[in-house]
Amino acid sequence: MFITDIRKEFYDVVVNQRVALLVSLDIDALCACKILQALFHCDQVQYTLVPVTGWQDLGTAFLEHKEQFRYFVLINCGANVDLLETLQPEEDSIFFICDTHRPVDVVNVYNDTQVKLMIKQDDDLGVPSYDDIFRDEEEESGDSGNESDGDPEPSGKRRRYEEGAVERRIERQRAKREWEARRREILFDYEQYEYHGTSAAMMIFELAWVLTKDTKDMLWSVIMKYVTDIATLQRHVSRHNHRNEDEENSLSIDCMRISFEYDLRLALYQHWSLYESICNSSYSSCHFKLWSMHGQKKLQEFLADMGLPLKQVKQKFNSMDMSIKENLREVIEESSNKYGMKDIRIQTFGVHFGFNNRFLASDVVHAAAALLENTEKDESPGDNFIKALDCLSRSNLERLHGGIALAKKKLMAIQQTVASCICTNLILSQGPFLYCYLLEGTPDVKLFSKPMALTLLCKYLLKAFVCSTRNKRCKLLPLIMAAPMDVEKGTVLVLGIPPESDTSDKKNFFGRAFEKAAESTSSRTLHDHFDTSIIELKMEDRTKFLDALITLLS
Amino acid sequence: MDPSEVEFLAEKEVVKIIPNFSLDKIYLIGGDLGPFNPGMPVEVPVWLALNLKQRQKCRIVQPEWMDVDKLEEIRDLERKEETFTPVPSPYYMELTKLLLNHASDNIPKADEIRTLVKDIWDTRIAKLRLSADSFISQQEAHAKLDNLTLMEINTTRSFLLNSLNCMYKLRSNLQPGSSRGKSQDY
Repeated sequence: MFITDIRKEFYDVVVNQRVALLVSLDIDALCACKILQALFHCDQVQYTLVPVTGWQDLGTAFLEHKEQFRYFVLINCGANVDLLETLQPEEDSIFFICDTHRPVDVVNVYNDTQVKLMIKQDDDLGVPSYDDIFRDEEEESGDSGNESDGDPEPSGKRRRYEEGAVERRIERQRAKREWEARRREILFDYEQYEYHGTSAAMMIFELAWVLTKDTKDMLWSVIMKYVTDIATLQRHVSRHNHRNEDEENSLSIDCMRISFEYDLRLALYQHWSLYESICNSSYSSCHFKLWSMHGQKKLQEFLADMGLPLKQVKQKFNSMDMSIKENLREVIEESSNKYGMKDIRIQTFGVHFGFNNRFLASDVVHAAAALLENTEKDESPGDNFIKALDCLSRSNLERLHGGIALAKKKLMAIQQTVASCICTNLILSQGPFLYCYLLEGTPDVKLFSKPMALTLLCKYLLKAFVCSTRNKRCKLLPLIMAAPMDVEKGTVLVLGIPPESDTSDKKNFFGRAFEKAAESTSSRTLHDHFDTSIIELKMEDRTKFLDALITLLS
Repeated sequence: MDPSEVEFLAEKEVVKIIPNFSLDKIYLIGGDLGPFNPGMPVEVPVWLALNLKQRQKCRIVQPEWMDVDKLEEIRDLERKEETFTPVPSPYYMELTKLLLNHASDNIPKADEIRTLVKDIWDTRIAKLRLSADSFISQQEAHAKLDNLTLMEINTTRSFLLNSLNCMYKLRSNLQPGSSRGKSQDY
């Protein structure tokens, strides 16, 4: 059931109870969790935070905690599968789900008692109406009951009654079959595409806003999620900034200031050298085609055109000459327009506290993502989650810097892998989609055994491929990527992304496609991830799985 | 005494807040507080003000003495005078630190206030050092210092007392064999 008043139906209910927070491992959930934790601290609500990696993890966590907790809050997990059937909870367990995964499972929508969805209803959900899917079984049994205990009547009447009854029964069965066929169709349409709705962090921030407990820290957490709803965020930012507009009562330098401004689409450029940032950002690298010699030369031309000496550009950004740094943005924009990169300038949010701490939203997102999927030390995903949560708070700047260093390594690894894939033509067109498999010996392949990193690589690779290929048809194809996940168990991680398009309407149909292909070939797959388009597969079953997919999608 | 103990004592001082919730009068062992009405200023001890501020249930109003002009006057006066001038509050240092750490967004010109208070503190501690030095070198028996706060006294207390004890021991050892050595200048 959908919650209409988030304050009364969710917050006031849990504020006096102990709550279990089950959080999925992604940036949106991280931010939402941070905001919710701050709210709980303010009101001294006892909670237990459990990061979960997938459905199995969710099940185990639930079993462990179901004795002690009645109220469960699920962040970014649980909406797209029939929750009650998966978890088999007691009658009195109540689940609050704040999830961006769509489509929301119909059972979750129509359950009135145990499942409460914190989702805005004006999101174009397209939930099929109740009558189309569920039907009272009582009518039919009632009629058949009438038939069976028909009193002995004069035989003539009875025969007519029976004939009438038989006809009615046939009619009902036909109606039922039609109804079921229509129901299957509706459900298929509804569940065909997977996409994402309003971010969870935004929902929780609105809760905080309603409670007037929103702070700049929380606002920053939301901004980090890079929501497309920039207009709302801008309003919130100006509302907060309005308080310190008075010239006389200027704010202490240590207070956090959030600004909304134009900045460059170069990843981490203020914490790296400008040269590295241009080489490793997907936008600039794809435009210049930096995997080819020609591209490298073009980059040198570009730098020369801007009048930036190589020595300066290869230094850490903060140590560049002030004279260069002052006009940097305008100079880069001008030259990029000349070289065809029209969108190098984007509107983004930046945070600013203390004297030398300035971060853009994308910097923090990269750092947090790198920390979440840190493969360098062998730590449990839960520990990584806590570390990533730490890097969001202002007091833990070393964590954030550590995250930025990891993010740099990740971006460089992605750039090198993309370059080698394109140069060695590792991307094959399989008909209805493009396919790429990362061999085990590829450097840094361990980094790509994690879903978020692999998704980033996938998107980057698709973009690069679209820029480098001449084949018009291939430009519209989606991409499926496979990378070795666990060498001992012999599994690969497979994920699919929709084709490159200008619209932001990214609907992904691979979830259902993967399920069907796995069924038809009886491959050993694990659909554990909350995103249905990411699965684990046994290495040996790879070829037959792919063949099944090709037949399915052509 | 530990500086944290002094800070603990400082938290009993009263400060004005503007709550955003409502609550009836509460009766605590140390006294009555409240009633709390949204938007109406009420006086509470600092420990409660900080707790409420962290839970975002109030806005802290800075004490009257925490104002740039007043503090500048005090600082200039302190620099001119040889003795200690009256302080704005017996716990000025602790209150500045607590309020500016937790509620700097409610206090205008927080950075300047921090600098000014630090200046006043530095001047007074320098005077205290000089005074202790002259006390010992002139071998006075008793001294009277007005307008010192607990925190300032606390900084020199253990060192001064220990060194006076040591000197007493040394002097009392020197007494019987007075031909052996002269007292040193400290």
